[in-house]
Amino acid sequence: MILTVIGLILLAIGAVCDLLGAIGIHRFNTFYLRLHAATVGTVGGKFYPLLGVAFIAAEQGLWPVVGISVLAALLVLVTTPVGSHALAYAASKARIVEMELDEFRGEEDV
Amino acid sequence: MIETAIYVLFAIYGLSGVLYFIRLIKGPTIVDSILAADCVSLDVALIALLLSIYYKNSFLAVGALFLVLWAFILDVFAAKYLTRGEVGT
Repeated sequence: MILTVIGLILLAIGAVCDLLGAIGIHRFNTFYLRLHAATVGTVGGKFYPLLGVAFIAAEQGLWPVVGISVLAALLVLVTTPVGSHALAYAASKARIVEMELDEFRGEEDV
Repeated sequence: MIETAIYVLFAIYGLSGVLYFIRLIKGPTIVDSILAADCVSLDVALIALLLSIYYKNSFLAVGALFLVLWAFILDVFAAKYLTRGEVGT
């Protein structure tokens, strides 16, 4: 019973974070702002709910679901910063989206 | 108790997935679409795990792991292609 309550609390926190991230990725007007909103919505809105699913499945005795949920949560926690950093680097390096205030490129390029 | 909570969570995560999908369709640049596809695949993985604890069936949870790995591989390979112009080496 206590594991189900902990899992539902984690799922509720994740639902709020995911909804805020979705609203942010829908309403912001620059790619880098959208990247910020998507990273908040992914780490806060997917890592905690996956742990919550693991708790609820442990209460019900579904041990394969527990293993897959914990493994997926750790993978999300590790791979989301790597992926978002790679996308931001690619968008800046290939000049797909120009930065507003680029401190690394110097004065001659302005 | 838990069935009602899972209905509400399905509604919230489905609404989030719809908002991500709108950005995937009308993204101005290619990186917006890649980012939105990443978020949609993680969202679908979470909904699959919720379905597996709703139906009390372990076989529905197998696809979620591949969706999580696929999101990371999409990010890294798309960034490599946009930066260098090729994938590999």
